[in-house]
Amino acid sequence: MKTKIAKIIALQIAAVMALGLFAGCGQNDDGTTPTTTANNGSAVEENNNTETRPNRVIFGSTTGISGDLGNAWWTNNADDKVVRDLINDYSTISFNKSGELVLNGTVTKSFESVINDDGSKTFTVGINEGLVYNNGEPITAADYVAYLLVEFSPQALEAGAAVAPDLVVGGPEYQSGEVNYISGLRLLDEYTYAITISSDYIPYYFDESYASLSPLYLPMYASADLTVKDDGQGAYLDGGSLVAEEIDAARWTYEGRVSAGPYQLVSLDIAASEAVVEINPNYAGNFEGQKPSIEQIVLVKSVVETEFDAIKTGSIDLLNALTDGNEINTALDLVEEGGYEVCAFERSGYGRIMFQCDFGPTQFAAVRQAVAYLLDRTEFANQFCKGHGSVVHGPYGLSMWMYKDSEELFANEINTYAYNPAKAVELLEADGWVLDANGNPYESGVRYKEVTAEEAGDYPLNVTLSDGRVLMPLHIMWSSSENNPVSELLAVMLANGQQTADAGMEIEQAVMSFDDLLGYLYRDSSQGEKYGVPTYGMYNLAADFLPTYDQSYYYTSDPDLVALGYNMEYLFDDELDRLSMDMVYGVDPGDTATYLDYWQKFILRWNELLPSIPLYSNVNHTLYADWLEGYEQNSVWDFQQAILYASIPSAE
Amino acid sequence: MKKYVLKRILYMVFVLVIVSFLMYCLYNLIPNDPARAELEGIKKTLKPEQYEVMYQQLRDEMGLDDPILVRYGRWIGVLPEKRTGEFNGILQGNMGYSSFFKVDVTEVIPSRMVNTIFINVFVTILALAITIPLGIVCAVRKRGKFDNIVQVFTIIGYSIPIYIIALLFIWLFGVTLRWFPVMGIKTPGSNYTGLRAFLDQLYYLALPILVMTFASLGGMTRYVRTAMIDVLGMDYIRTARAKGLREKVVVYSHAWRNALLPVITVIIGWFLSIFSGSVIVENTFGLNGMGNLYIIGLNNHDYELVLAVQMFYTVISLVGALIMDLSYGLVDPRVRVDK
Repeated sequence: MKTKIAKIIALQIAAVMALGLFAGCGQNDDGTTPTTTANNGSAVEENNNTETRPNRVIFGSTTGISGDLGNAWWTNNADDKVVRDLINDYSTISFNKSGELVLNGTVTKSFESVINDDGSKTFTVGINEGLVYNNGEPITAADYVAYLLVEFSPQALEAGAAVAPDLVVGGPEYQSGEVNYISGLRLLDEYTYAITISSDYIPYYFDESYASLSPLYLPMYASADLTVKDDGQGAYLDGGSLVAEEIDAARWTYEGRVSAGPYQLVSLDIAASEAVVEINPNYAGNFEGQKPSIEQIVLVKSVVETEFDAIKTGSIDLLNALTDGNEINTALDLVEEGGYEVCAFERSGYGRIMFQCDFGPTQFAAVRQAVAYLLDRTEFANQFCKGHGSVVHGPYGLSMWMYKDSEELFANEINTYAYNPAKAVELLEADGWVLDANGNPYESGVRYKEVTAEEAGDYPLNVTLSDGRVLMPLHIMWSSSENNPVSELLAVMLANGQQTADAGMEIEQAVMSFDDLLGYLYRDSSQGEKYGVPTYGMYNLAADFLPTYDQSYYYTSDPDLVALGYNMEYLFDDELDRLSMDMVYGVDPGDTATYLDYWQKFILRWNELLPSIPLYSNVNHTLYADWLEGYEQNSVWDFQQAILYASIPSAE
Repeated sequence: MKKYVLKRILYMVFVLVIVSFLMYCLYNLIPNDPARAELEGIKKTLKPEQYEVMYQQLRDEMGLDDPILVRYGRWIGVLPEKRTGEFNGILQGNMGYSSFFKVDVTEVIPSRMVNTIFINVFVTILALAITIPLGIVCAVRKRGKFDNIVQVFTIIGYSIPIYIIALLFIWLFGVTLRWFPVMGIKTPGSNYTGLRAFLDQLYYLALPILVMTFASLGGMTRYVRTAMIDVLGMDYIRTARAKGLREKVVVYSHAWRNALLPVITVIIGWFLSIFSGSVIVENTFGLNGMGNLYIIGLNNHDYELVLAVQMFYTVISLVGALIMDLSYGLVDPRVRVDK
């Protein structure tokens, strides 16, 4: 009997595996099943270029699809955005591979602008004839006008869309329901529309982006038979009303989704976190007329622990934008083994030490500069990025055209703050950090500086001597989030570094949750009184830049704006504020020379004041099977753009 | 019996109210500004004036400036919503709004729950089907070679963290032998239906099912073994053997039925756990289940989602405890639950 039971148990274990294997058998008789997940065979064999394979790429990302395909009015996650971008295009203005705004010639026949007497600016846009949706229905100017009429509608607001209607003349009145038309939006004829931007937003260097619209297929957003009309006072929707629930439902419509992009949605399975898109046969091309050649793209969720096993076994063909140094090294090992390629590109942003510059020691530029000299940033970037990072010296990314045009200037004029503890001490002494806690000349320990009442503020670590003099210690309070490898490395290389102590500086680390950190950063007393009190002068955070580089308002002195989270560095410098504003509001669109001039001045001023210290800028790597050819990605040219130019020559 | 059940249900309601209030307060103590978080992604594309209007609008809609009791009342559904003036809380079936998924929580949970149940049903059935006979054999062959080997393996299986088991299985069955896929829930790009879809899903979930089954063998096997050893040492077993009954009858009719009593609560607990996802396994294999959802909620400060998941598990736990108590009374006549 005992032997019999043992046999039964053994059989059950075997049955589990057999059932799974049985379920896996017979999967190769269907074209939709990946040949690469078949049993046996090495990674190299599976990626052999001579093998015929499906004309398909399986894109893996750790974010995972949430299924929100709503327009930009909703902030959908990175993977949802990939799907959204793959199935939608035909905006009148696009970004090119360098991150510059360009006219989308496939869509835009004409693009004219005129400044009106009241300071507003009207863009008149002509659309090419012959464009169609993936279902074959024609695209006209009415579809572009419909985009704004839905976006600015009271119902979209009710559905939770984050939009700014005051951009367009008549937008606020339309959104409030006061009128049923947008006076600044005109449907001029079947293939021409006009949009008038409010004078509050003009001039603006990137103002063409305001006039960029995409077509919107109205029947997907409303059950009523709506049409766009214009009787002379502005465009409006005729034939019924929009409904908030229907607008919201359009975000989650997958079956038969009508779109106008290089691909069309075939399926989206939230439970499996998978989206499948296939070539849209009606697509006329991107702004350069480029059409995709890869028939199908499958977007799946990957996990860090198994993503390389997944790519080795063919469950994934492409791992997008790896940033972690260890992951990149594993990817490079795979490339060395053969069968894979990587595309490396600079991140348009960086990890940084951020100072709050209106209280305590960090209010003094010399202290911030001394911190920079006390940290070997090159070594920091090497260690943190495992050799796949670089160091920048201002708020820019190495892939930006502005940086590329300024390399020579920066080589001579930008301060790199190369590791130099002696220079740090020199700066501190020149700034008055020459006393000890008793007001005697400094010899060892923490340095002190005699400060004015205004400089002293309420900094709790200040010392008041019997003669009334107020001394501020060179003691910086640092807020760092928990489980943060950057914080750990900073603690070792800076806060606890001997060079810091030798310079007479103390950096006290307080580890806290990220929510706590944000509370202190924003000085948000609504979350608790303690947050309203300036406490931490130093944080470690990250910053990323959009292709439309715009730092306006981020150095404002307006207390209302500061309270809203603008100027989180609390650096109130008129020149920096003026440069950041003039860069975009004082330059005519297209005047790249003046824009560049402001940009360079802004960067140099920033570099001098150093409200933040850039620590590292990652070199991201996308790993993919080597049968994918022509794949070139960068920080402003994502997978969804790059894949249009790639191909699989060995595809069946 | 009815009186007892009603009394327990009343207790459950009371506990639920207390737990929900405590949880709601705890999550609201976390310094967090969901309105700011909501707009952070588009802040750089907005002018300050636009940002301020939208920020205040969102704060108002979310009721962030209202006292916590008012917010709790709205969340539960005993106070009307600020915007619509309607009662629309948990009592009305509204579990809240997921700030991460941008939909109602009730729309997020079902698809994840299906995945979790799919996996757990297999794991529970397989684990019980293996561990119960294994525990019995070990008890019957106490201190024999087979028992010793099983004891060693169950201790090892019990001691190794499940993520280590998962990685080992992935390496062995996924990467080296290539028997099973290492991630995902179905063939990428497939659109199977019916039995084909079921088998495809089973093939993709075989590895996580194996991992979870393997990881759960140790505890239950040892539990059954101990219960059986206790019973096999009883006088009535010796009497049964002395009467000349066949060993099979002694073990299954006399010993196992009595050994089942302490095991039954654990078994029922297992069946109730089919609703709860394994955080580690689901994350390791990239599965969209309840465990994965919970982590997503926590990582993204989606507290309404987390609260809803926790409330769901609180209800499951309370109902489970009631079922266990009732079943104990049913299988053991010595226990009377109506007293």
